[in-house]
Amino acid sequence: MTQAAAPTPGLAGSDRARILALRRRVLQALGLLVLGAIVVIPAVWVLFLAPTTGKWATSFGSAVHDPKDFLITLLNGITAAALYFVVASGFTLIFGLMRVVNMAHGAFFLFGGYVALKLQRHMVGEGGSFGLSSSQVNLTHWIVPALVGTVAIAAMGLAMQQLFLRWNQGQDLRQALITIAVSIILADQMLAHFGGVAEDIAWPRNWDTFVNLRVKGIQYTETRLVILAIAVGIGVLLWLWLKKTRTGMVIRAGVDDRAMVSALGVNIQLTFAIAFAIGSALAGLGGVIGGSFASLAPGVDANWLLYSLVVVIIGGMGSLGGAAIGALLLGITTNFAAAYLPSNYTYYSIIFTFVLVAIVLAVRPLGLFGRPE
Amino acid sequence: MSRVTPDRVVGVAALVLAVLAPLYLSSYWVGTLLTQMLFLGIVAASLIFLSAYGGMVSLGQVAIYGIAGFVVGNVTTNGNTKGLNLGWNPWWGVVLGLAIAVAAALLFGALASRSVGIYFLMITLTYSVIANLTFGQVTDVSGFGGISGIPAPKHIGPVDAHSNRLYYVALGVALAVYILLRYISRTPFGLTLQGLRDDPVRMSSLGYNVMLHRTIAFAFAGFVAGVGGVLFVWWNGHIDPASIDLSATIDVLVIAVVGGLYRIEGAWVGALFFVVINNYSQQISFIGPRFHTLIGAIFLVIVLVSPGGLVGLWDRAVALSPFRRRGPTDRNPIEAGQVEPSV
Amino acid sequence: MRALRSRWKLIPLAGAVIVAAAAVAATATARNSASPIRIAVLSDCQGAFGSFDNQDMAGVVTAMVQYAGAKAKNPNKPRDGWVGGQINGHPLKLVGIGCSNDRADTAIKETKRLMEQLKADIMIGPLSGDESIAVANYAKQHPTKTFVDGAAGAQDTTLKVRAKNFFRFNGDGAQWNAGLGDLAYNKLGWKTAAVVADDYSFAWTSAAGFVAEFCAVGGKVTKRVFPPLNTTDYSSYAQQMPTNVDGTFVAVGGAGLIPFLKAYEQAHGPIDGKKFIGNLFWGTPGQFEQLSSRVAGAYVGGAGTAGDLATPAAQAYNKMVGKVFKQIPPFGAAAPQASSTFTFGYYVNTWGLLAGLKGVKGDISGGQKKLQAAIGKVKLRTPYGPVHLDKNRQAVIPVYYQQLYLKNGKLAVKTVGYIPGVDQSFGGTFTSKTPPPGRNFPACVKRNLPWIGHTQVPKVTG
Repeated sequence: MTQAAAPTPGLAGSDRARILALRRRVLQALGLLVLGAIVVIPAVWVLFLAPTTGKWATSFGSAVHDPKDFLITLLNGITAAALYFVVASGFTLIFGLMRVVNMAHGAFFLFGGYVALKLQRHMVGEGGSFGLSSSQVNLTHWIVPALVGTVAIAAMGLAMQQLFLRWNQGQDLRQALITIAVSIILADQMLAHFGGVAEDIAWPRNWDTFVNLRVKGIQYTETRLVILAIAVGIGVLLWLWLKKTRTGMVIRAGVDDRAMVSALGVNIQLTFAIAFAIGSALAGLGGVIGGSFASLAPGVDANWLLYSLVVVIIGGMGSLGGAAIGALLLGITTNFAAAYLPSNYTYYSIIFTFVLVAIVLAVRPLGLFGRPE
Repeated sequence: MSRVTPDRVVGVAALVLAVLAPLYLSSYWVGTLLTQMLFLGIVAASLIFLSAYGGMVSLGQVAIYGIAGFVVGNVTTNGNTKGLNLGWNPWWGVVLGLAIAVAAALLFGALASRSVGIYFLMITLTYSVIANLTFGQVTDVSGFGGISGIPAPKHIGPVDAHSNRLYYVALGVALAVYILLRYISRTPFGLTLQGLRDDPVRMSSLGYNVMLHRTIAFAFAGFVAGVGGVLFVWWNGHIDPASIDLSATIDVLVIAVVGGLYRIEGAWVGALFFVVINNYSQQISFIGPRFHTLIGAIFLVIVLVSPGGLVGLWDRAVALSPFRRRGPTDRNPIEAGQVEPSV
Repeated sequence: MRALRSRWKLIPLAGAVIVAAAAVAATATARNSASPIRIAVLSDCQGAFGSFDNQDMAGVVTAMVQYAGAKAKNPNKPRDGWVGGQINGHPLKLVGIGCSNDRADTAIKETKRLMEQLKADIMIGPLSGDESIAVANYAKQHPTKTFVDGAAGAQDTTLKVRAKNFFRFNGDGAQWNAGLGDLAYNKLGWKTAAVVADDYSFAWTSAAGFVAEFCAVGGKVTKRVFPPLNTTDYSSYAQQMPTNVDGTFVAVGGAGLIPFLKAYEQAHGPIDGKKFIGNLFWGTPGQFEQLSSRVAGAYVGGAGTAGDLATPAAQAYNKMVGKVFKQIPPFGAAAPQASSTFTFGYYVNTWGLLAGLKGVKGDISGGQKKLQAAIGKVKLRTPYGPVHLDKNRQAVIPVYYQQLYLKNGKLAVKTVGYIPGVDQSFGGTFTSKTPPPGRNFPACVKRNLPWIGHTQVPKVTG
């Protein structure tokens, strides 16, 4: 019997180890070089090179040439990232603690959005079949549905966890499959009950205005800044919760060593339930914001699941800071690719996101902030 | 080896039934449902092979299947409005399609080979998304509408007129794939792969190149998936990005899981189940357009009740019966939980 | 002599044999004339058009009731199909309803199921563009079956595939936008325009109709932006839309239209309706209501329908749909949904099929060749105007365009333009030799279009 890759004969163990270590270092250096090139080349393009005429013409030209559009694109990227972060933080929280890849996260997002949408239209009282304009909507008409949608999805997530996931803890693939089944059923039922026509939640009129940023005369939309504020608030609250409260400490300990936490007599099941409810609630809240930012329709659930996956894969699963970085990379990449690719190539912008993922994973298999167990 | 076991009896009976199918089934059943079952089974088998012997649950098989299919579609069609329309001989299309599929699988495999467990699942999922988006956006080779009118080779097609021919080709290929996968799993390469699945750290310190083995296994599974993709485009005559979208990816996963993620045979069991449910559930009046709910519910029940899928149920039944077969050496990855990360 | 006599004796016998044979033959033909015609419908019940499933079936069943004496099985649920109905004694049997999801791949699988498993002779459908290209290709390989379109608007289906047994009595996406270029240039005074459309064939085709006509009369399209399907954040695309043009044509649909409009407002301030023209996604009942008052004033290309048309034929059609069905779920009362692209598309195609079947007295023997020849010659006086087929079996249709306005504070739509006799070729812009509409095709070229200057203002209700 021949070995397919037999140990190299004639080398002492220590030599082999040294060679392996050296090779690893070279590979890592190469990887970093590639990663650096991937960051530096587009940055130079956007800042200095992008032309406005010729074969490679872009819409705005370089940042030096047109700083206003550059700044707006940057803000768009950051505010989009804020929404990606809200949705993905719930996903990463659940994964970090329980190793459950919740493939129903996108369906939860959509369902939360629909709950808020129906409630908002009911509250405004203009009938369910007409889209609202923000002039008809005050703050209460947005905040109450947002809270109800969030709580409803928290309950839904909790129910799924208790019914289907609680008793097969640790079988991560099986749990992922269960959540896939749940998402198939939910998506089909949502199509049946809410229809296939795209609908949106209206922003309250107080937010749907422009803010003068006093930089280059930019009038920027307040709604996107509100999203950013909500995301920062959620990030801070989650951070405080994880760092400063007892539950948070249990969760962090559980992320590192579940068996040990259980052995210490902590009620890990309760902690799991709380974390799952909060993670789901963030999907629901994300759905409300996403439904106000964009729209709700069949298929949107799959998009948002993919965004969440991308964010946590880039950032490293289970890491809150990673989710923030991943969301920023995703938001900035998609917005800059759409705006700064040469006009005849912007069609390919959507592919860039996923190429980014493949590259990050090739260099860092566990994501930028992922830790091996 | 020649012991008569319930598995072998059922296997031989199934093969005989399959060979004789055109005698007792309608041409729709043979030409559409069973042929579809065979090529979906081949794709699912490539996934089960990776999962059962390599511990790699891949969602990228559909991407590779699609790459083979799109290459065949581009080089063998002629006079269409979409695609390259090279009008080659279909057999050259097969050669190029499989070559590119394997090359893509090598690249994908090399990129993913350092990831394990649920990470591997997700990175391969992004491959499927990349493939789907790429074919959707790059209108030179496909675009959203895809490529129609893809011919099967002269002696096999036209498929609509001679549906039995493609069926027998698919049956032969499926059998060959099954035998090949079983054979590979017993070669030194296959045994090494199983060793890497169970304890990558030890195998690595024994001097085995973990990443290389995983990459080669992925490329090999990519070849099998590519074969499935070629059969698919011959059967369908059409391929578009929706043929390899997220739901198609999940369909193949459902097939593999429903069949049983730890035995190759499960692929075709799951595929038959899936194809029949998909085809007939719409005709039940109270389900009608809501058949996705039914499929989701069945999938949920199977995952909850029998993580080993239908083949797992069968194995349990056999284990309880007097004809006990020798204990399976293949562990069930779905119950095994977190696979240890490597290096 | 004896031989002769015996021959004479044979005569009554021979007569008896002939009579008997004739009787047998007659019963045989009688049975033959009563043989059912097996019909399948391919609709979308999943995906972006999934909720229009019942509108599709409502169109089919209404035509069956009106022209073949059928009855709706359930007045509140069109999807239950019809009972009864015959052409010259041949019962029209509904063998199955296919459920697709706007994807060509699914449409093909469903078509196979309907034609091969359920053994349909004739199929009505599919609903959307790419599906129809795939189905027309399928039709080409099955010349003994007959296919009529549902509501699909891809141009290639009839212009490029040209299957001899695939017929379309509705327009394509470009035809549906006839009149808009003329309107923009000559009435709204746009000299330059920007175009934004989803990056796939139906939206390209839809935009092509506007671009071809706007450029034909002398306008210039200065920028074309194509956001990929499944884009969520349109801000970068909205920001690229030029503001130094006279107007913008928008062919973004599905889940993308509302986010695009919101992103546009965020980038350039409130939308001025007079500077926007949309395609059918802006005017389809059940969809436009969601756009909210922000788009009031914009003009909208239709799909060859006009729900508010005051002509007796149009009113009679609305009444007919309302008589056959009380409800078309999930949108409620049936009559207002008669003018939906989907209801009317399936209605007019089914009607065209039935007219063809009547022409051959329900005889589908001989590989349906006679039937196919008969359908090709069908001329319909539809509720919205005359329709006939060209040599590619594609309808030459009347086209309407609409305007969105506010009625009691809610968005409503009224028909403001009527262009009769619009054909697929746009004065030679599109032929079987030209590339299909795409990101850069058609180019912006001045030329003569037959219908320029023929736009009429139709009489409408309300």
